[in-house]
Amino acid sequence: MNERLTTMMNRVRDGEHHSLRQDVPIEILAECEAGQLSWPKRVACLVRRQCEAERVIIEPDERIVFTRTLPGVPPVYSPEEWAQLTAGRTLHEFGPVSNICADWNLLLSQGLLGRKQVALATRGRLVDEHKTVEFLNSAVETIDAVLGLAARYADSAREKGRDEIADILDHVPAYPSRTFHEALQSLRLCLAVVWLSGNYHVGLGRFDQYMWPFLCSDLQAGLLTVDTAEELLAEFFISLNKDSDLYPGVQQGDNGQTLTIGGVTPNGDSAVNELTRMVLRVSRDLAIIDPKINLRISAQTDLDLLSLATELTRIGLGFPQYSNDDVVVPALVSHGYTLEDARDYVVAACRAFTIPGRGMEVVNIGAVSFPASVDHAIRVGLTAQDDFEGILKRVSENIDDQVHQLGEAYSRLLLPPAPYYSVFMEGSLEQGRDLSDGLKYINFGIHGACAANAADALAAVKQFIFDDFGISSGDLLSALEANFDGYEALRRKLADEGSKVGNNDAVVDTLLVKLFDNLADACEKYGRTSRGGTLRPGTGSAMYYIWLATGHPGMREPVVAATADGRRRGEPFSANLSPSLGARVRGPISMLQSFAKIDYQRIYNGGPITMELSDSIFRDTESIRKIAMFVRTFAQLGCQQLQLNSLNLDTLLDAKTHPEKHKNLIVRVWGWSGYFCELAPEYQEQIIARHYF
Amino acid sequence: MTSGIIFDIKEFTIHDGPGIRTTVFLKGCSMSCMWCHNPEGQSRQPQVIRGLAGERIAGKEYTAVELADLLNQQVDILRANEGGITFSGGEPLMQAAFVAEVIDLLNDVHVLMDTSGYGQEQDFRLLADRSDLVFFDLKLIDGPQHQHYTGCDNGLILRNLHLLNKMGKAFVVRVPLVPGVTDTSQNLADIVQTLSGLSGLLWVDLLPYNKAAGAKYRYAGMEFKPDYDESRELNLNTALFEQAGIKVTVV
Repeated sequence: MNERLTTMMNRVRDGEHHSLRQDVPIEILAECEAGQLSWPKRVACLVRRQCEAERVIIEPDERIVFTRTLPGVPPVYSPEEWAQLTAGRTLHEFGPVSNICADWNLLLSQGLLGRKQVALATRGRLVDEHKTVEFLNSAVETIDAVLGLAARYADSAREKGRDEIADILDHVPAYPSRTFHEALQSLRLCLAVVWLSGNYHVGLGRFDQYMWPFLCSDLQAGLLTVDTAEELLAEFFISLNKDSDLYPGVQQGDNGQTLTIGGVTPNGDSAVNELTRMVLRVSRDLAIIDPKINLRISAQTDLDLLSLATELTRIGLGFPQYSNDDVVVPALVSHGYTLEDARDYVVAACRAFTIPGRGMEVVNIGAVSFPASVDHAIRVGLTAQDDFEGILKRVSENIDDQVHQLGEAYSRLLLPPAPYYSVFMEGSLEQGRDLSDGLKYINFGIHGACAANAADALAAVKQFIFDDFGISSGDLLSALEANFDGYEALRRKLADEGSKVGNNDAVVDTLLVKLFDNLADACEKYGRTSRGGTLRPGTGSAMYYIWLATGHPGMREPVVAATADGRRRGEPFSANLSPSLGARVRGPISMLQSFAKIDYQRIYNGGPITMELSDSIFRDTESIRKIAMFVRTFAQLGCQQLQLNSLNLDTLLDAKTHPEKHKNLIVRVWGWSGYFCELAPEYQEQIIARHYF
Repeated sequence: MTSGIIFDIKEFTIHDGPGIRTTVFLKGCSMSCMWCHNPEGQSRQPQVIRGLAGERIAGKEYTAVELADLLNQQVDILRANEGGITFSGGEPLMQAAFVAEVIDLLNDVHVLMDTSGYGQEQDFRLLADRSDLVFFDLKLIDGPQHQHYTGCDNGLILRNLHLLNKMGKAFVVRVPLVPGVTDTSQNLADIVQTLSGLSGLLWVDLLPYNKAAGAKYRYAGMEFKPDYDESRELNLNTALFEQAGIKVTVV
């Protein structure tokens, strides 16, 4: 990395550009109310006013510009009107459309003016349809606003004698990009405006696919060398970190600024190209938190690419995250995705899959609390003197009920219009339909959270109460009620001698699989949502592994107290697919073997096997290659998704006591990476606890 | 049916031989090296380890069939990744009959014995015969010093080393570098001399001293009492080996 980039990165890391920000968000309610604007017009007004209010920032050494100065996104309705508008409806998280992925190739290949032409043509065709015309007018208003913003940047650049920037902005985002540099600039600006519109978890999609033609032709024409291309790419990556502190999320860093690389083309050929490798190299060299990298692999992926990816893992950002095409593509196809679309899948933000430009999917409407199901079944079932089959029946009924409740809530889902975001979606402008009214795929995702603890608890009941009678059901119920106070010997037996997920042990793994089968059954039963899509079950936990243990208003299920796996009240659950915290497992191979048993043709919403590797393992080229082999093994065993972290326990402990010394320490949290020192203490503790065994 | 005591099975032990390996740690060792970094491997008996995350028992009895079944669940994966099973310890030679039976029950897979070489000749032969590769520890060549730091005589060890060479087995010699004890120029020169002309020797691994080992003694309820200065800088003299035409790596 050269000095220009180092300086730029340090400035961004230190937040020097924050001083350029405006103090307060703009106010647009008055304009919206004066004009008695409809919702789509209000959002268009928001986008236009945000673009108009942005100040032009061109830093001395920048070649890709745009720095956000607006601190927030103002409301388009007064609180009273908003309450009225949303009464009886379900809003997803913060409300605005999030966690989907645009088809950025529409921008790069057509330019905003090309998109505008499409909108105008549709308007001409459907001139009598009020709603359609209103949407298209709104979309055009936002396109014009972005073009206005780009023109102001171009003028300012020209005035400052920054002709390269001015020339580029004279051309993009208005027209189709001609070069790699133009494509990056166009994407940077148009992407930033999606965030300014209030949408969030904005995915970057298949970056190495839609960007490669530009890079390839520049390299062939001699406009760029690999080195100069890497420098541009690095600058683009740095630019994605400028405004990320302004993005909404559950925790700082949870922004879903994800790009997906590798995999196959829509024809099924390998999609890996020089840009795939360049992304991995540049991300490794920058060691910066955004963008998060997702790498699509298969059992056939070569070890050289996996070794390069492992070098990225080694620096400790918690990515790349791997998705296994061999499993994901057929699963999507068997659930209604066309083969070409399935081959084009991306990770939307954290881990769930979607199709860029074609998915208006809510990939995470919530999580089923497996610990709550199991705990309820154990307590009620043992009291009622059920046999083990009776307890399992209660578990499946409870899972069924949780899925039903979540599905019900989301049948009342209200998605705000997003006329600007729609510009980059397939068919929206062509059909005159806002993306919130649906795209080709409109499925919902539901995750099954904290499966390992739940399966361990069930296994303990099976083993100690029904198989060898080592513990009486009365004692277990009293111990759970007492949070194991006075029952330490019993707790130890449950915790240490029980069969635990992660050891390729048939007793508990069968129960793990059963939990997910129950989830898939319920999703199939309640699928075909009111919006017409299916319910996709997944294996992620998102933040639920903390919420379930400590309680949270966003969680429908009750806090689970002490559990039959020997876990005390308040102790966290394990994240995603990983063994229970404190469960002793032999190691990564058995973990893969345990989790490979889940039927990923039915459980296909994503959710990674999550593993921490000590940084000492990544010692030399030979060990890097062995880790690459391990990743290949993950794919060969038919697992779905893998997140490997490289971490040093001493560093984490030191960062707890001396946060000032570790302000750049980045860790993987659940499906995203964040600065360790910016995480809430319960998340920090959970990460530390993952490392003790 | 033979049974044995294991104090750990660790997967993905990528520094214990070629490829991806799973290492079985046999409990019990007749030596008591002052720097031993697996103190819980010394006693044959199960014992309580009190760590940061609570207590656990180190030491579990397995029959040969149980252990082989467990390992056979993953030998396909290990083989596909250029690896295999490593038997370490403690000291595998102390449970030679058990280990031999386990190896005989394993599906086709690369087997590595990681040994101090301290054991009876017939036990050594039993396991070396069944191993594809041997990691052989050499600590001190000087007899009295060896006795002082490890609690045993090195005659048996040196005889087994030559036996191994005579058996035509491929082996790697591993030297734990303990500051002021095994890393002295004299000892390294003695090691070079001992190894010269051994045709089965692939290379020498020098293992730099790990100060973290001391903490494990506390967890195992044992006392760590080195009579050497742990903080002294190591003498990483690889040249001595290279001059003698012996390939050497620092691990």
